[in-house]
Amino acid sequence: MSDAAERLVNLALYLASSRVPVTANECRSAGLGYPDEQDDATFLRMFERDKDALRAAGLVITVDRDDEAESYRIDAAATFARPVELAPDELAAVRAVAAALSADPGFPFTDDLALALGKLGTAGVAGPLATADLPDDTGDAQSHHARTIAEAVQTRKTLTFGYTNTAGEQKQHTVDPYGVFFREGNWYLIGCDRDLDAVRTYAIGRVAALGVNAGRPRTPDFERPADFDVTRHERLPFEYGLEQVAAQVRFEPDVAWRAERLARGRGTLRELADGSALWDVEAGDLERLATWIIDEGPAIHAVGPPELVYILETGLRAVADAHG
Amino acid sequence: MAKGPDTATRARRLLALLPHLRRNETIPLARLAAAVGCTPAEVAADLTTLTMCGVPPFTPFDMIDLLIEGDSVTVNLEAPGIERPLRLTIAEARALGAALDAAGFAPRSALRQKLLAVAADSVSTDELERTVRAGAAPGGIADLYATLAAAADEHEKVLITYFTGSTGRTSQRVVHPWALVNRLGTWYLIALCEGVGEERVFRLDRIRDALGTGEPFTPPTMVEYAVTPGPEHLPVAEIRFAPDAVLPDTRSWPGVVFETLGDGSTIARMPYQTVSWIARRVTARLGEAEALGPAEVRDAVRTLAETLLRTLG
Repeated sequence: MSDAAERLVNLALYLASSRVPVTANECRSAGLGYPDEQDDATFLRMFERDKDALRAAGLVITVDRDDEAESYRIDAAATFARPVELAPDELAAVRAVAAALSADPGFPFTDDLALALGKLGTAGVAGPLATADLPDDTGDAQSHHARTIAEAVQTRKTLTFGYTNTAGEQKQHTVDPYGVFFREGNWYLIGCDRDLDAVRTYAIGRVAALGVNAGRPRTPDFERPADFDVTRHERLPFEYGLEQVAAQVRFEPDVAWRAERLARGRGTLRELADGSALWDVEAGDLERLATWIIDEGPAIHAVGPPELVYILETGLRAVADAHG
Repeated sequence: MAKGPDTATRARRLLALLPHLRRNETIPLARLAAAVGCTPAEVAADLTTLTMCGVPPFTPFDMIDLLIEGDSVTVNLEAPGIERPLRLTIAEARALGAALDAAGFAPRSALRQKLLAVAADSVSTDELERTVRAGAAPGGIADLYATLAAAADEHEKVLITYFTGSTGRTSQRVVHPWALVNRLGTWYLIALCEGVGEERVFRLDRIRDALGTGEPFTPPTMVEYAVTPGPEHLPVAEIRFAPDAVLPDTRSWPGVVFETLGDGSTIARMPYQTVSWIARRVTARLGEAEALGPAEVRDAVRTLAETLLRTLG
C-alpha cells in the first residue's frame, strides 16, 4: 500500500493531467493509492480529506455537477503562478529577510515562508548574510501561539486561554480573535473578550493553555467588524491610557527626517518654516510620552500640552537634584 | 526523536518540489532543500517518495523518474501536469506578508504588491494586511533595507548618513556592509566602518540614507552577529529604583540584573556601552531612578538633566 503523501501527489498529478473532469470513483479505481478493501463511506471521507489537503497546498479544484455524479478538475489559471520578475535590490531584500526569519524559531510562519519562497523561485540561492532573533526568551512558545492565533484570526474561530496580566493576576478568557501584531520582541492579540464584550489587546507571551474552538471547523464563530484594522491598535507605548490628550512634539531640523520613522504612521506630521517637524499625536499617558521624548532624543522637544512640559520640568529637576 | 511533518504538510512540500525538477537536469540536493525549507536528508526522502508517484496507468513512462546519487538528483522524467509553481495559499501569503512587514515593506509597497500578486484568488491580501502585522509601520526602512541587502550581496561599499543617538551628531561614513541582523524587531547593519577601520553596528532606523559607491570590498571570512558586546566586557552602572517605580524590562535594558532591598527599593546593575546611553535611560525615568555609580554616569545624568531643563526654558 502506498503512503498517504504518495496518494496525495498521485491525486494531484491525476487531476492536473486529466483532459476531462474525473469523478471520485474514477480516482478510486485509477490506482492512486486508495485501499481496495475500503467501503464507500470510508473512501469518500478519505477523498474529501485529500481534496482539502490539495486545496491547502494551493490547487484550485473545481466541481462539475450533473445528475449522476460530481466530477473534479484543476483550474489551471487559478492554480499555477506566473513568474515574478524582481529587480536586483528587491531580490536581495527578499533573500535577506528570508534568510533571517526562516532560521528564527521566533518567527511564527517559518514553514509557510519557506514554501512561499520556493513557489516564487526566490529561495535556494545564497543571498546576503542576515539573521534574526525576533522575540525574547519566550520566543518558541510565543511563536507557536502566534501561529495558532493567526490561523484562528483567518478562520474566525473563538479562542480560550489563561492570561497573566502585568500585575501577576491570572484569569481565563474567551476571545474572538480579530488580529495579531508584533512589536519590540512581543506578539500581541487583539480580540473581543466575550465576557467583557469589549476589544482588548493581549501579550501573546502571557497566554497559556491556548485552545481553539474545534466545533464546526468550517463555520466561523464570529464576524470581525468590517472596519477592523490591526494598525489602529498597534500603538506607541504612550498612546495607551483611558483619557486621550492632544500633544505636540517638535523635532529639530537636523533630526526632522527621523520624525516619520519614529511616528510610525501615528498622528500627523508637518514641516515648519525652519525645517523642524511638528508632530500632533494623541497621548493616553503623558508621563510615558515625556519618557519617550528623552529616550528617543536628543533634539526632540515637548511643545504641549502644558502638563507635558510640567511633567518634564519637575521630573528633570528631580533628576538633577538627585545627582547633584 | 523529532516528529516529522503531518501528511498534508509533507504533501505540500512534495508538490512544491515538483516544478523545480526539470527533465535532464542534475540538481544539488542542498539547492532543492533550501528551495522548500528542509534539510538535504529530508529532501532526499521526499525525492524517493516522488519516484513512487505518477499517473495512470503507472507504466515506467508515467512515473516521475529520478536518480539520486550522492548529493544531487538527476531528473530523467518530470512530473506530468505540474510543471509550474502553484499560487500562494493564504498561509503562505500571510507568511510572506509578515516577512516583508518585518523588513519594513508596507502593504502598498511595490515589492509587496508584486510578490503577493501570485497569491491565489481566494486570498484577500487586504484582509491579511488588516489582521496581521509583523513590523514597522509606514515611514519605515524598506528602501534602505533593499539597498543595504543588495550591497551586502554584491560586496559593494556604501556611503551612509548616520545619526548617532548617544551624541546627537549626524555623520557620513563609508562602510562595508557585512550582515543585516534583527534583534527584537529592530534591524541592525554590521559593517566595517572605513573611517575608524573597525567593525561597527548601525541601527537601520538611524541611517538617514545609503548610497552604493560602486567600489567593491572583500568580505570577512566570518561575521559575528552580536549587536552589543557581551556584558562581561562592559562596565556596570548601579541604579536605584524607588519602591513604587515600574522596573524596566530586559528588552530595553539588556543584561540588567535586579536586587530588591529591604526598604522596597531595587538596585539595577546595568552593563553599558557608552555613558551617554545609560545617562539617557536613567534621565528618562524622570526621578524614579538614581545612578549610584560610577561617578562618570552620575555626572552624565546630572549634565543631561540640566541641559534638557535649559531647552524647556
